[in-house]
Amino acid sequence: MLFSSITFLYFFLPVVLLLYGVVPKQAKNFILCIASCLFYAWGEPIYLFLMLIQIVIAYGLTQIMEKKRDTKAGKVIFILAVLIPFASLFFFKYFSFLFRELLGIAGSSMKTLVVDVPFLGKLDLLNIVLPVGISFYTFQLVSYIVDVWRGETAAQKSLLKLATYITMFPQLIAGPIVRYKGTDKALDDRETHVKDYADGIVRFAIGLGKKVLIANTLGDFVQEISGMSGNSIALAWAYALAVTMQIYFDFSGYSDMAIGLGAMLGFTFPENFNYPLISGSLTEFWRRWHMTLGSWFRDYVYIPLGGNRVGIVKWIRNILIVWMLTGIWHGAGWNFVVWGLFFGVLLMVEKLGAGIHENKDDLTQKKSFASVLWKGIMCCGRHVYVLVAVLISFLIFNGMTMEESWQDIQNLVCAPIWMDELSVYMLRNRAGILLVAIVGATPLPKRLWEKLTLRFGTEAMCEVDSKTVTMSMIVFRMIQIIMVAILLLLCTAYLVDGSFNPFLYFRF
Amino acid sequence: MKQSKLINRIFVGLFLVFLCVMAVLFLVLPKAEYSTVERRRLEDAPKITWAGIRDASYMDDLEAYLLDHFPFREQLRSLKAFFAYDVLGQKENNDIYVVDGHAAKLEYPMSESSILKAADKMKALQEKYFPDAKVYYAVVPDKNYFLAEANGYPSLDYEKLETLMQEKLTDMEYISIWDTLTIEDYYTTDTHWRQERIGKTVERLAEQMGFSEYVMTEFEQKEIKDFYGVYYGQSALPLPSESMYYLTNDVIEQATQFNVETNQTKPVYELDLLEDETLMDKYNIYLGGAVAIQTITSPLAEREGRLIIFRDSFTSSLAPLLLNAYSEIILIDTRYVSSGFLGNYVDFTDAEVLFLYNPLVLNNSTMLK
Repeated sequence: MLFSSITFLYFFLPVVLLLYGVVPKQAKNFILCIASCLFYAWGEPIYLFLMLIQIVIAYGLTQIMEKKRDTKAGKVIFILAVLIPFASLFFFKYFSFLFRELLGIAGSSMKTLVVDVPFLGKLDLLNIVLPVGISFYTFQLVSYIVDVWRGETAAQKSLLKLATYITMFPQLIAGPIVRYKGTDKALDDRETHVKDYADGIVRFAIGLGKKVLIANTLGDFVQEISGMSGNSIALAWAYALAVTMQIYFDFSGYSDMAIGLGAMLGFTFPENFNYPLISGSLTEFWRRWHMTLGSWFRDYVYIPLGGNRVGIVKWIRNILIVWMLTGIWHGAGWNFVVWGLFFGVLLMVEKLGAGIHENKDDLTQKKSFASVLWKGIMCCGRHVYVLVAVLISFLIFNGMTMEESWQDIQNLVCAPIWMDELSVYMLRNRAGILLVAIVGATPLPKRLWEKLTLRFGTEAMCEVDSKTVTMSMIVFRMIQIIMVAILLLLCTAYLVDGSFNPFLYFRF
Repeated sequence: MKQSKLINRIFVGLFLVFLCVMAVLFLVLPKAEYSTVERRRLEDAPKITWAGIRDASYMDDLEAYLLDHFPFREQLRSLKAFFAYDVLGQKENNDIYVVDGHAAKLEYPMSESSILKAADKMKALQEKYFPDAKVYYAVVPDKNYFLAEANGYPSLDYEKLETLMQEKLTDMEYISIWDTLTIEDYYTTDTHWRQERIGKTVERLAEQMGFSEYVMTEFEQKEIKDFYGVYYGQSALPLPSESMYYLTNDVIEQATQFNVETNQTKPVYELDLLEDETLMDKYNIYLGGAVAIQTITSPLAEREGRLIIFRDSFTSSLAPLLLNAYSEIILIDTRYVSSGFLGNYVDFTDAEVLFLYNPLVLNNSTMLK
């Protein structure tokens, strides 16, 4: 089920929130787990069982593993527990791709290979359908298993609670990747404060707006010009910008909705995006983009490989492994491998050059005009470099094939003319949404909101120990209510009017 | 503390009430079968089947049903159009743009291969069915011809289109009617021309096809109020309705049309359709709308003659005006019948042939079978 669907917004969500609100504490996990299973099964009923089986296996194996942690048997169980979700992920996500590539190398032009599989029916091994959200819940399962193995958390004794954690519908199919360590206490006992609930509603509405009003509209624009980006250099750059913004607003909008829904249900989910497009380096970009995935790879791959506390050759190996895995996590295709390695290489260069930057920063301490100017130029240059690199990376990411991506990149400089009449029209037609997207990708709206909040003291009003409520505070909260209502109405209007509504990150 | 909690509670309550009220309204409000503004049948409630749930098609159908019957659907679509136009500054909504009160649908880029294929299909028909007949063709200008380029919208290259057709169709006589029309000759909310304003076009056709002396000039003009064209629904903008008129006289009233598909004979103007609540398009009163093959017989025609028109919907309102010059007019719409079967239904002997298509059809010629 999509968050941005009428089924979810006006039927599933109110029913679940009301039920969840009225049942006693002991029954909340049960309601949430059942609702989450229904949510998942709504789109892919068959694959619900795949997820549930993996949860049961992980539950069983971690119980044994915890007891036999220091034994060889424990180690074997640990390896088995980790391998099962990864094997499932490999089969459903990568098997078809690798099989097709191997057949291609062998000179075969086979397009389908259908076999009968119990429960699943006929399965085309060359075109296996990817279960929704498998990359996300696999990583959550693995993080849970590893944390239990490391002794950083106790194995969950309740199968229901573990299932609730893995299946929890707000984050099930597109993240953020919620670690068990930070959620275990809330699974046992949680309370939803009315302020958190209200803030969750605001966050959810903002996320919905980012997805439906901005990402989908940019998606229309991307579709309109996808075959024309070679017309002019301006259109090629607009295409790259629109693709990047679409992916950003789609994914960060989904994360906002997930965090908002989590707050309504009494959970605190980690932030996933922090205005990545304002970054001054790619290192900073990846600290701000899909933060939960980055930290997962850091904690479960990079650091176990030795991180940066190894020799330079091993460090390069570690970086390349992590970024290749990051690439293929996003999809089974060569463009995703190249996309990951593209970032890996640039991040290595950045890290190797970090010392030089530090020296330059020292120079600027003198605060001469030249040094200030130099710092300004370097600052602008860094942002331009990040934006260009990110735009190019998402052209690689977005292409159906590497050839298509390469063509899109070439168009940025090799398109026959700078601007033609069609490009002018296209850009004028979508100037509004591009402007909204550009401003929305910066912290400006948030800072403005925070200033207004401080000015009217609404934040103070919402504090538990607040004692006075002024008329301006009430008016300010009313404005929030009206804004949420407008966002909901507008999103509903867009949903009713159009059918273009795919969630990009579902294929991961 | 209590006051702040109360405000937050009101906030949460309003949110839940809003969602629930919309859901309840959906459940209790009556469901329309058709959307007249969008001219389509709305989705029926899907039936729950095991197969439908297993392959998730039930869920997709349910979402489509919810979208089609959501409370205040038309108002929400208008809200979206307002936001797209007036807030985001888009120059079109759902590919419909409005200039000086005229709504038109964007059509670009031009597909030269499609136009050449259309010409090939016309040529193939000529070679197969009427190699010795006198054959004419004309292109009906669409509204973009008048509105698009002049107002900064992308448009087809009409000169190129004309050239491509002329280079291919050397055995047919071309009739240029571009200069016989202006944007005022079209409905503001529809794609079609106004029957009462295409006199010059008829004269141009008559001039080149040699029936000028039989062109009818005296008609009674009858009004049909509250016409909303196809672009009204698509644009979702609050455009005003307009009156449509049909021209009639004894010649037209005595003529009848025979629908080969339904085997039914009806008057040229099917005014009884106006009584039908499910009528999607009032323009259908002209010869009953989209029909694959129909024969119009005109007993009061001053000239014995047969004309076969390969056509799109523009011809529905044009053909009645030719009924004094031809005692029989056969209309063929190859979007609805395969060219290969025409010999079974149509006698091509002793007939003049006219191909009359608008650029939207030529630029999407895969629809011609």
